[in-house]
Amino acid sequence: MNLFQSEIYLQNKEVILIITLILGILIFSTSLFFIWGKIKPTSNLVELKTRTKSWWMMASIFIFATVVHPIVSFIAFGLLSFVSFREINSISKNVREEDRRVIIWCYIAIPIQYFLAYKGWFNIFVIFIPVIMYVWIPFMLVIKGATEDIARSMSILPTQLMLTVFSISHLAFLLSLPELSGFNAGGRGLLLFIVFITEINDVFQFVWGKLFGRHKIIEKISPNKTWEGFIGGIVTTAIIGYFLRFLTPMNGTEAIMVSLLIAFSGFVGDIILSAIKRDAGLKDTGTAIPGHGGILDRIDSLALTAPAFFYVIYNLYYV
Amino acid sequence: MRNFLRIIVGVKFINKESLKKEKQFIIVANHNSHLDVMAIMSSLSFHQLKNTHPIAAGDYFGNSKFKSYITRLFTNAILIRRSKSNGTDNPIDAMNKAIQKGKSLILFPEGSRGEPGKMQEFKKGIGILLQMNPTIPFIPVYMKGMGKVLPKGEKLLVPFNTYVAFGEPIFITSTDISTIIIDVEKEIINLDKKLA
Repeated sequence: MNLFQSEIYLQNKEVILIITLILGILIFSTSLFFIWGKIKPTSNLVELKTRTKSWWMMASIFIFATVVHPIVSFIAFGLLSFVSFREINSISKNVREEDRRVIIWCYIAIPIQYFLAYKGWFNIFVIFIPVIMYVWIPFMLVIKGATEDIARSMSILPTQLMLTVFSISHLAFLLSLPELSGFNAGGRGLLLFIVFITEINDVFQFVWGKLFGRHKIIEKISPNKTWEGFIGGIVTTAIIGYFLRFLTPMNGTEAIMVSLLIAFSGFVGDIILSAIKRDAGLKDTGTAIPGHGGILDRIDSLALTAPAFFYVIYNLYYV
Repeated sequence: MRNFLRIIVGVKFINKESLKKEKQFIIVANHNSHLDVMAIMSSLSFHQLKNTHPIAAGDYFGNSKFKSYITRLFTNAILIRRSKSNGTDNPIDAMNKAIQKGKSLILFPEGSRGEPGKMQEFKKGIGILLQMNPTIPFIPVYMKGMGKVLPKGEKLLVPFNTYVAFGEPIFITSTDISTIIIDVEKEIINLDKKLA
């Protein structure tokens, strides 16, 4: 088995186009900040520069994981889930000491979920965490026998699995979708579309918010979220989604509607994770990626956009 | 080993370059887990590793010949007795001898691992040792969360995001044993504050 079948995947025009686009944007923004820093040395670009640097790193890993053999992609997404679950589990002050042996079951669930995604067994993939683990974890907690605050652990652990494993595994499942006639980009195209649109939505909500942000949406949770940033972000995202629809089987109207849905659910995912971080008494969930806070700060929007996008596409085209 | 700790367990190594600044040192760390020694030792260079001895409890690791052999083989540990000495084999002597030979030590002055996340009072040994060897710096190390990964009495390792923070090498300024102990303790707690 050749793990590096990139020649085959790179024959796909749509995929090449989007990868070129991603690299183009990165080169553009890097040189922009470089020139900006040269012209106005006083301006504070450190945050923007570290952010761009992190984007380079993440984009290269992501592109590498998508163009090589699918097994590599599944392992990469599984690791992403693993690191994210570890982070969300570590910052939670509500996980009890008695839960540690049950937490192992959550870690065991990660490879199983990705194995199901790899096999493309949709019916069990879709119930494994929300139904089976949702019962299994409380069962294990009960067997452990420590009843104080047990109800809290029963709800927290499955929720953490949902946010970091169930949701992200939908990205991997895109690669297991069957081929559709007349649609060339395939699962890889869909994967690149959803990740690109989600991240571009994050970036534009940030940019519009910085430029024109006046009216705060929910100051208590996320003081940087403004109506101006939100609306500017979803409009920009919808426009970009319209032009990138060649990666998907969607027509123009569908692409705009789905992009709006992604933009909105990205926003929701962002504030849900923000609220969790606030509860833990943290602004950034860790320091894994420079300038971006922890891993969770990057996957927060994906945690909601991935399943949202997946089910729309699945029900429109694959049922 | 370090990669295992970093990728699987989620240990973050902070400022481990400070270990390279001095040739001989005494690492003083808080103690919550068996992982503590591994986390510190995996940050040492190969050359340092040969010349660094963790100080371990003889009554725990040395209670059988096999256990004591394994401990010494893998970690190079010097086993001491935690209970009051009866004059013949003073635990401080064993540590002092190693220092005279130019070796570095890893010391957990709390004495035992205790409850996860809680620091116990420091034992006197570190104070006496530093007082006897004022030319040797101590390096404060603070570890956070190790007690959650592998607490006392547990065999199952559960990944958690944890930290090992290394401080700068420090020479003692006082000759009074209890002041030295307070200073060392303060340096370790300061590292914790920097993390937060």
